[in-house]
Amino acid sequence: MSGDRPGSIEAGPILEVRDLAVSFRTERGLVRAVDGVSLTLGEREILSIVGESGSGKTLTVLAVMGLIRDPNAIVEGSIRFRGRELVGLPDGEMRRVRGGAIAMIFQNPMTALTPVYAIGRQIAEQVRAHRPLSRRAAARRAIELIEAVGIPNPAGAAQRFPHELSGGMRQRAVIAMALSCDPALLLADEPTTALDVTVQAQILDLVRKLRADFGSSVILITHNMGVVAEIADRVAVMYAGRIVERAETAALFREPRHPYTLGLLGSIPPLEGARPRRLPAIPGTPPSPFAIPEGCPFGPRCRWREAACAVRPELVAEGGHETACILTKEARAAARAQSLAVTAGAA
Amino acid sequence: MSGEARPLLEAVGVSKRYRVGNHLLARFNKVVHAVEKVSLAVQEGETLGLVGESGCGKSTLGRCLTRLYEVSDGHILFEGTDITVLGARALRALRTRMQMVFQDPAASLNPRRRVGELIAEPLIVHRRGTRAEIAARVRALLREVGLLAEHAERFPHEFSGGQQQRIGIARALALAPRLIVADEPVSALDASVQAQIVNLFMDLQERLGLTYVFIAHDLSVVRQVSTRVAVMYLGAIVEIGPTDEVLSAPSHPYTQALISAVPVPDPAAPNRRRIILEGDVPSPIDPPPGCPFHPRCGYATERCRSERPVLSEHGRGWDVACHFPLNGS
Repeated sequence: MSGDRPGSIEAGPILEVRDLAVSFRTERGLVRAVDGVSLTLGEREILSIVGESGSGKTLTVLAVMGLIRDPNAIVEGSIRFRGRELVGLPDGEMRRVRGGAIAMIFQNPMTALTPVYAIGRQIAEQVRAHRPLSRRAAARRAIELIEAVGIPNPAGAAQRFPHELSGGMRQRAVIAMALSCDPALLLADEPTTALDVTVQAQILDLVRKLRADFGSSVILITHNMGVVAEIADRVAVMYAGRIVERAETAALFREPRHPYTLGLLGSIPPLEGARPRRLPAIPGTPPSPFAIPEGCPFGPRCRWREAACAVRPELVAEGGHETACILTKEARAAARAQSLAVTAGAA
Repeated sequence: MSGEARPLLEAVGVSKRYRVGNHLLARFNKVVHAVEKVSLAVQEGETLGLVGESGCGKSTLGRCLTRLYEVSDGHILFEGTDITVLGARALRALRTRMQMVFQDPAASLNPRRRVGELIAEPLIVHRRGTRAEIAARVRALLREVGLLAEHAERFPHEFSGGQQQRIGIARALALAPRLIVADEPVSALDASVQAQIVNLFMDLQERLGLTYVFIAHDLSVVRQVSTRVAVMYLGAIVEIGPTDEVLSAPSHPYTQALISAVPVPDPAAPNRRRIILEGDVPSPIDPPPGCPFHPRCGYATERCRSERPVLSEHGRGWDVACHFPLNGS
């Protein structure tokens, strides 16, 4: 479908973000919501960004999309898409880059659909915005896209209005719309959070198929560790505007290193085996961007906090697995054993 | 749970139907069968988990159980009394013994009232003591749910989502109810906070001997809190039984598919056989004939297309509504 897309043969990363910072001027002073995030995404790679509300995960991808429009926002750092710098690009240029190669889907599909037109017409409109096609050809292309995302009876579905579709079908329609530009990069912000698990499984299958059929690279934001384990090649865990741990998915689940990651994994009740009497929950709540603690931002909620945590730890790589935590290898192993013991101390 | 004891709460053939459309002649309007002939019993001290996908009727059933909604058919017995026929005065007395906790705590807390007033309100309405006694009870309730007594002076917006849910729980506990129906009480919360509130529900049950009906779509949360679990599909219960048994070896093909769709946070887990259900849940306006699950069921036969299975025991000790239940292997 899109094999002749120019530029898809480069070996370098498709996306390179360096020291991204997003701040807001507010009545209560300057607030730094994303604080020095760097990441790279390879061709055909699926990267998951995990974090809780306020961790800066959504702002990070909105910055990549150039969609932070708040006049009080300040975006600093560098975002290179296929080697081209996006930060500071004029609006018109940015729109061309975005429309031609980057697409984004959101948690609520209705943010991208208008209730007053049939979905076929909405998708065809997107097709025509990217390609010089006749109305008729665009309508045909829309039906192909609807079929590609697995909506049954594509020609019939094209005539339906969003309110006539279920949540899962609407999310598929939005993905069809995102595909209209043959995106090399798909940014998905909690695309399955509002959906039922059986539908979530269908949408995750579709994202995998996108990578296989269209060769897209994907950044998928989620708070669900199960979704991460299912779909991601690599994971970045964000907390209070920073990446605190990053690794290949298998490595992160086999050997979580940051106490926050350990806590997140422990918070999930198991679906099999013994039930813990209590879940090893992380105490407290994620900090507000207005009051990010000094030093290690996770410090106040951390069971293994020590004096050295008063200094903000840098993200340090150790065999391809990066962690922003001062715990030594031995201390980490002890922490893991300790949190596992709580989980296993079951009924 | 002794099987002989009279259940605290019992639903007998409960249905809830809505009419949609506004045609002059009733026969031209369609009927949504939100809950279809549901019967279940909840014993004192246990937690019944109610799971299912959106639109399956679990929330509607929860609201019928507490009589926030009037049932269209059937009876609900609480402490042996049929509550579907109670008048306003008796209903108000009933509310002191059964309470609800909702998904969105912010929506159920008046933003203009202080937390202390919000928690005191049911105590004042039901004249539970003097001002000083009520103030002391509010402080005790705040501590009970893991907040501080001085939080009574603050407003709801000053709290995080998890803390707001704690306030909602304190309010539900104010009159010392025996039964709490909780409708998705943790699904709007962040993962780390969700675990805290799940723990709180379990601690309170242990300390106060509460009985819960816990409605949620997240199977792992339901597994953590429930003694028994009821799985709903298209307004009806398709399987109900002991949590561990039902979730580890389900009898109904829908339960099996639902469990298999949950993504497991372990990429090294042996490849589980995932059953991807085709299509969507059918409309409750026009439910399919026979077994409501048959259009999406991999095991459906001719019989499933014509004859509706009844919820009954099938040799494994719990009830399932299926002509060909799975045997757990």
